Amino acid sequence: MGTPRSLLRRGALPAAGAALVLLGVTACSGGGSDSGDGPQTVTLWVASPTEAFSSALVDAYNKTHKNQVKVTGIPDDGFLQKIGTAAGARSLPDIVVSDVVYLPNYTSKGVFLDLTSRIKALPFASSVAPAHVQAGTWEGKQYAVPHKLASSVLFYNKDLFKKAGLDPEKPPADFEELLADAKKIRALGPDTYGYDFGGNCGGCTAYTMMPFMWAGGADVLADQGKTANFGNDTVKQVFGLYKQLWDAGVMPANAQTQDGSTWANNFVSGHVGMMAQGSAIVGDLQKQTGFDWGVTRIMSPDGSGTSTFVGGDAAAISATSEHADAAWDFLSWTLQDKQQVDIVAKNGDLPVRTDLAGNPNTAKDPRTKFIMDGVAGGKTPFALPFGQAFNDPTGPWIAMVRGAVFGANPDDAIAKGQQAIQKALDNAQQ
Amino acid sequence: MAIRNPSVPATLWSGARTGAFHLVAGVLAVLFLFPLLWAVLNSLKSPTEANASPPTFLPSSLSLGNYETLGKYGAGIAAYTGNSLLVALVTVGGTVVFSVLAGYGFSRYEFRGKNLTFVTILAILMVPYATMLLPLYLLLGVLGLQDSLIGLGLVLVMFQLPFGVLIMRNAFDSIPRELEEAAFLDGAGALGALRHVSLRIVTPGVVTVGLFAFLASWNEFLAPLIFLNTGDKFTLPLMLVSVREGTFGQIDFGALQAGIVVAMVPCVALYLVLNRYYVTGLLNGALRG
Amino acid sequence: MAVSKSTAHAGRTGALFVAPAGLLTLVLFVIPLGILVWMSLQDYPLLGKPTFTGFDNYLDIPGNEVFIQAIGFTLAYTVVTTVVMFLISFVLVAIANSRRRATKFYRTSYFLPYVVGTAAATLLWFVDSDPVIGVFNQVLVGLHLVDKPIAFLASPTLAFWSIIVLVSWKFMGFQVIVLLMGLQSIPTALFEAARVDGASRWQQLRFITIPSLRPTLALLFILSVTGSLLAFDQFLILTKGGPDNSTVSVVFAVYNTAFVNFDMGKAAALSVVLLVVLLLISAIQLPLLRRKDV
Repeated sequence: MGTPRSLLRRGALPAAGAALVLLGVTACSGGGSDSGDGPQTVTLWVASPTEAFSSALVDAYNKTHKNQVKVTGIPDDGFLQKIGTAAGARSLPDIVVSDVVYLPNYTSKGVFLDLTSRIKALPFASSVAPAHVQAGTWEGKQYAVPHKLASSVLFYNKDLFKKAGLDPEKPPADFEELLADAKKIRALGPDTYGYDFGGNCGGCTAYTMMPFMWAGGADVLADQGKTANFGNDTVKQVFGLYKQLWDAGVMPANAQTQDGSTWANNFVSGHVGMMAQGSAIVGDLQKQTGFDWGVTRIMSPDGSGTSTFVGGDAAAISATSEHADAAWDFLSWTLQDKQQVDIVAKNGDLPVRTDLAGNPNTAKDPRTKFIMDGVAGGKTPFALPFGQAFNDPTGPWIAMVRGAVFGANPDDAIAKGQQAIQKALDNAQQ
Repeated sequence: MAIRNPSVPATLWSGARTGAFHLVAGVLAVLFLFPLLWAVLNSLKSPTEANASPPTFLPSSLSLGNYETLGKYGAGIAAYTGNSLLVALVTVGGTVVFSVLAGYGFSRYEFRGKNLTFVTILAILMVPYATMLLPLYLLLGVLGLQDSLIGLGLVLVMFQLPFGVLIMRNAFDSIPRELEEAAFLDGAGALGALRHVSLRIVTPGVVTVGLFAFLASWNEFLAPLIFLNTGDKFTLPLMLVSVREGTFGQIDFGALQAGIVVAMVPCVALYLVLNRYYVTGLLNGALRG
Repeated sequence: MAVSKSTAHAGRTGALFVAPAGLLTLVLFVIPLGILVWMSLQDYPLLGKPTFTGFDNYLDIPGNEVFIQAIGFTLAYTVVTTVVMFLISFVLVAIANSRRRATKFYRTSYFLPYVVGTAAATLLWFVDSDPVIGVFNQVLVGLHLVDKPIAFLASPTLAFWSIIVLVSWKFMGFQVIVLLMGLQSIPTALFEAARVDGASRWQQLRFITIPSLRPTLALLFILSVTGSLLAFDQFLILTKGGPDNSTVSVVFAVYNTAFVNFDMGKAAALSVVLLVVLLLISAIQLPLLRRKDV
C-alpha cells in the first residue's frame, strides 16, 4: 500500500497512473499491442447525442475489418468531466469524438496526436470540411478530422406561413421581413409563436446568433481567438432584432429559461413559425408529418450577406494512444466516398466533405442539399476558452445575450460582455 | 409529535381531529405523489404522445413503446441492471458491516485515536464530491481498480460511512448497557454480545443504513461516470441519461419518465419490504421482553 | 461508560471494531485527500503538465469573483433549506408516527420522492415547471389558481424558491425516516411511566421525546447543513446557475473551475478551503452529537 508521501513524490502520480494504464492496455489487447500482427481493439468515446451516428459507422467498419472499434457513449451531461478526468489521469481512449468548438482547448495542451502528415496524404484532403480542420489546427499542426457535421440555418414552418397569409416559398430575407413575418404568425393564436431561441443556453445562442453577426461582417472572434469584437453596430442590430421579437411577445415564454435541453421542442412540435437551428433536427423534421417546413440562410440585418456556424463533432487520436495506426485506419476510412455517401448521407446527415455535397443521398431532399451547400462558406469560431466564455451557463457570453435581449439596457450589457469575453480570452493566453 | 396516546375517548372532538388529520396528511400525500404519478402516467403513453406539446393529461392509449426504447439500448437493460445490482450489493454489504462494527466500537469503547478516527470519517461529508473524484480515480488506477464495479462499490461505501457510522453509534448509544453486561456474564465475547443482544435491537438502524446505501448506489451518476470506462460496465443511471439525450436539442420525455419508473421499482419494493421495521412499538416490545 | 472500560484489552477490542471502517477511510479518503492537497499546490491544468506553485492557488481565491459571490447565495440557501426542511418534517413525522388508519400510506408517499435519483428528479421538475409544456402550470391554470402560466425559473426569487420546493420534495423522505427511526428507539416504558405519573402530552414531548431525539436531531442538522453548503446537482440541472448567475453555489463554482476552466489546481485549493471551513462549522455543531448523559 502506497503511503501518501511516496505517492506524492515529485509528481510521480500521473506518471504512475499512466504507466498502470499502459500496462492495462497492453494486457487487454493480448500482448501484441502495437506490433501490427493480430487484430487490435480501438476504443472510442463519444457523447451520447452522437453515439448512434458513430455506431452506424463503427458497425460497418467492424464487419469488414480485422481490427475492431469499441464505442463507449458517454452521457452528454458529464462528457467534459469525463474527458477532463481521463486526460488528467492520462487514460484517454484511442479516439475522442468531441464537440468541434472544444478542440483548441485540447490541441493547445498537447492532448492529441499530430495528424498533419496523415491528413495531408488523403487524396481528398482539400475538401475535408475546412472549418473543422481549421478548428483542429494549433500552431500549424492539424490534430483532428471532422466526424459529424452540423450547420445552423433558419428553419421555418411553411404551414404557419400559409395560415398567416405569407408566401411559404418566400422566407424572410432581412431583419425587417423576419420581424414582420414573426408578428403575423404570432397573431394566429395563443399557442402559435413567430420565433424561438434557447435564451438561457450559451451553446445554442452562439450557434444561432453568431452567424447573423458574421453575415453582417462582424468578425466577433478575430485573430485566432485572441480578440473579441462585440462592440459594433452589427452585433447591436442582431441583439436588437431578438429584443424586438421578445418585447413584442412573439416568442414563447420558455425561451427565456430554455437551457438547451429542449430547445428544438417548440419548433418540431409545430408551434413556432421560424427558428435559427442546427441541421441536427432535420432527421426529426423529416420524420414528423404534422407540417411542411423549409430552410433559408441566416442573414445580415440588411439581407446582403449570409453565413452559418459549422458545428458538430470532430475526431482526434489521443497522444497516449497505443493504437494510433489502427485508429487512423478507422478515421480515414470514415472519410471515404462510400461511407460518406452510403452511411452518413443516407441517414440524412451531412457529408463531411465539400466535394460530396452533390451526392444523390444528400441531393434527394433539396433542403439538405441547401444546407450542405452553405457549409463551404461557413465558420467555426476559434477560441481557447470557448467552453468557459461561450458554452458555460455562468459565462460572459450568455450573460451578454440575456442582458441585451431580456434586459432594460442592451448597450450596457454588450459593453460589459465585450469586456468580460476579452478578459476570458486574455486569461487563456497566459 | 408524540402521538402515542390511544386512550382519548371517541368524542366529536376527536372525530374532528381525525378528519383534520386525514385532510392535512392527504393533501400532503397528493403533493408528494403527483410528480411521480405524472411520470408513471406519461411513461405509459406512446412515445409520440409523451413528447406532445402541450402535454395531454390522460394517455389516449396505453403503450409500452417507451420501455421498448429503454430495452433496446446498447447492451440491453438487463446488463445495466445487473451491473447496478452488483455495485449495490457491494455498497450495501460493505456499508452495513463496516458501519455496525464501527458504530459499536465508537459507542462502547475508549481507545487511542478514537476522536481522530471519528472526525476523519465525518470529514468525508465535507469535501466537495466532484473534486475528490480525480484523486480517487488516480488512486484506483494504482490499486488496479479502475473500470471495476467492485472499486466503484468500495468508493460508494466510503461515501456512505459517515452517515452509517453516526446512525449506528446513536443506535447503540440508546441501548442500556445492562443488557450486554448480562450477556458478558453469561460468557459471551464482545462479538457475541453484539450479535445476540444489541444487533436485534438496533435493527431499524441497520435497515436504515442499508436502505440509504442501496438508494445512494442505485441512483449514483457521477462516480460510475468517472470510474467506469467500458460501456458494457455502465450502470443503470448512466444508461438512462444516454437514452434520453439521444436526440439533439430535445429530451425524450417518454424515455426519461419510463427510466424514472424502471429505476424506482426496485427501490419502492425494497422500501415496502423494509417498511415493517418502522412500525411503532415493535422494537420496544423486544426490549421489554 | 464502556462495558469494561480503560483496560488495555478493551481498548484493543474497540480499535478492532473500528478498524475496517478506519482502513477504508485511510485508503479511499485520507490518501486521495493528500493527493488533493498536493494538487492544490500545483498549477494543474487538467489537460496539461502540473508545475509546483506553492500557495498561489490559495492566494488567488479572494480574486475569484464567481466563488466569492456564491458564498452569500449558498449561506442563504443553507439557512432557508434547513429551516424549511425541519419545520415540514416535524409535521410529516407526526403524521407518519400516528396510529391512525392510512398512516402507512402517508408515510410511503412522503418517502417515495427520495428513491428517485437527484439528477432524474431535477430534470423531471425542469420539464414539469416549464411555462409552455409543463404540467404544473397546466394544473395551476386549470384550477384557476393563476391566470397565466408562471415562468418558475425566469426570475432569481422564483428560481430560488423553486429549488427550495424541489429540494424539500426530494429530500424530505430521508429526514422523515431518520426521525421516525429516532422516535422508535425511545423506550415505550418511559412514556408509560410518565403517564402513570400524570404527565401531560406536552410534558412528555418536552421531557422525553425531545431530549431522547437530541442525537438524531443533531445528526440531521449536521447532514442538512453540510449537505446544503455543498449542494450542487440541483442547481446544475434545474437552473444551470441562472437566471443570470443568481443560483451559483460554491461547489458549482468549484466544479466550473475544475471542469469548465480545466484548472484542477485552483479547484483543489477551493475544495481544501471548503473542507477546513466545514470542519470548523462542524466543530461548533459536534458537541450537539454527544449524548446528554442522564
